[in-house]
Amino acid sequence: MIWQFVVNGLITGILYSLLAIGFALVYNTTRIFHIAAAGIYVFAAYMFWFFVAKAGLPIIFASLVAIALTMLLSLLSETCVYRPLKNKNASLNVAMIASIGAMTVIINTIAMCFGNETKVVESAILQPLAFGDIIVTTPQKYQALVGAAVLALFMFTLQRTNWGLRLRALSADETLFETLGYDTKATRVLVFLVSGAFIAIASCLTVYDVGLDPNMGMSVLISAIVAMIIGGVGKFSTCILGGLTLGVLQSLTVYHFASNWQNAVTFLVLLILLFLRPQGIAGYKQRTV
Amino acid sequence: MEYVFHIIIMLNIYIMLVLSANLTIGMANLLTMCQAAFYGIGAYIGTYFLMQFSLPFLVIAGLVMLFTGLFSCLVSFASVRLKGDYFVIATMGFQLIVYTVLYNWTDVTRGPYGIPGIPGIKLGGMYELSGVYEYLFMSLALVGVVVFLFHHLVVSPFGRTLNAIRADELTVKAMGRNTVLFKSIAFFLSAAVAGLAGVIYASYVSYIDPTSFTLDESIFIISALFIGGIGNTKGPILGALFVVLLPELLRFVGLPDSIAANLRQIIYGLALILVMYYRPQGIWGKAILK
Repeated sequence: MIWQFVVNGLITGILYSLLAIGFALVYNTTRIFHIAAAGIYVFAAYMFWFFVAKAGLPIIFASLVAIALTMLLSLLSETCVYRPLKNKNASLNVAMIASIGAMTVIINTIAMCFGNETKVVESAILQPLAFGDIIVTTPQKYQALVGAAVLALFMFTLQRTNWGLRLRALSADETLFETLGYDTKATRVLVFLVSGAFIAIASCLTVYDVGLDPNMGMSVLISAIVAMIIGGVGKFSTCILGGLTLGVLQSLTVYHFASNWQNAVTFLVLLILLFLRPQGIAGYKQRTV
Repeated sequence: MEYVFHIIIMLNIYIMLVLSANLTIGMANLLTMCQAAFYGIGAYIGTYFLMQFSLPFLVIAGLVMLFTGLFSCLVSFASVRLKGDYFVIATMGFQLIVYTVLYNWTDVTRGPYGIPGIPGIKLGGMYELSGVYEYLFMSLALVGVVVFLFHHLVVSPFGRTLNAIRADELTVKAMGRNTVLFKSIAFFLSAAVAGLAGVIYASYVSYIDPTSFTLDESIFIISALFIGGIGNTKGPILGALFVVLLPELLRFVGLPDSIAANLRQIIYGLALILVMYYRPQGIWGKAILK
């Protein structure tokens, strides 16, 4: 019985990892606390739902269209909110407050257009797979396969390609990156596009399973941020470690207590970890000035 | 006319909340996202005292402010160890834990059913306040006191030390000031005033449930603060005026209710982005968030 919960937790963990990477792409490179990601997540979910349930596209096409539109919205948050603030030399906290504003605008525009009630993408119950005692539903199968494939592709890109090297260089030292003649502005555009794609993939995979409503973004985003911090801030591979850890932890909370204590346990673990090991499980110890 | 008075009472509650948020965020540059948690703790503790004992209001207010203030020690403890974004996420965590406890600890808080029939505040002896008029005068008097105190706090040596901590904490430490103590006192006062607002809300509405004290409410309070302005007394009051009066103005335009609620949030969000871009100190504020 407990292994069923571990498997569920690992699959949720993959989704957290995807969203955590979407957040960390922006956070590690620009240091902006990108709360608007919650709004972008909800936007992706609604685009996916719209193209599947209203426009009747096949799920593959619908998710591709949703991902493309979400990448555009993510870029829009950079060009309309963060870029102008950076040009004015505003502090990162100011950017974060503006990001809260952007999140509010996106979520409420969606709620105004599509209504506040919960929606489901597809209500058909498909035959689940069974491996011995462990049961994996069809949405979970796609979540695990697609999620793991995307994560593997990202890790490969990050470690083996020129683009990945640039991304790591920008997150290590922006001034040096610019001094060596690389275009920070263009790299940032790319960062926001890829971040949007990751947020959209996480969102589509999640809502395919559990449905969607306009207020779901913030709690998922907070879990993803916690996953990023648990794993260790500053790198990308740690997001996967943190995401899987958090997923299993939350799932075991459900097993031992009840699902409604999930948030409280998540944050207790986070607070204990922040006090004992602020750099996260696999992070570097950094000196603060 | 009672409708107008009701709005003024809610406005008074929000003025207290936004002013209390200003003390930590605006003056000491400690970005807390848990003002609604203290608001909720104050409301629930106040409800307990109101329902169990028939004490005069000043005693209840004092007790609530003390206990809510004690909860703030958790946050000030976190602020010593955690800096920047870690502190922000830790306060969000505190907010979510408080909400989860209020929602799920049904033996004590009745969880999602809420607590109905909260008795009114008793002034002096046994006279129980009821009706909009009496709450109007009481809340006006309280807000007067709170605004007066905060205004003097801003220009007092204590307020100037907090401002100095915002500008450069290391220098203040080098001058021999105990910055941790100053920040802890700021957290204590901020939580206590938010708790006071909670008691007034609970006894005025006479019903509370956890959904009034969510993370969204915290974000709402912060939005009001940053739109109005940080670092002085005028800015937060203006912010509270803006967020409380805007929905009433929209009501006169005659939009359907389902759109009006979302439209108002969109206006807050846009206002927040525009203010951060054109006037980072807020419409009438003094300090800029570092």
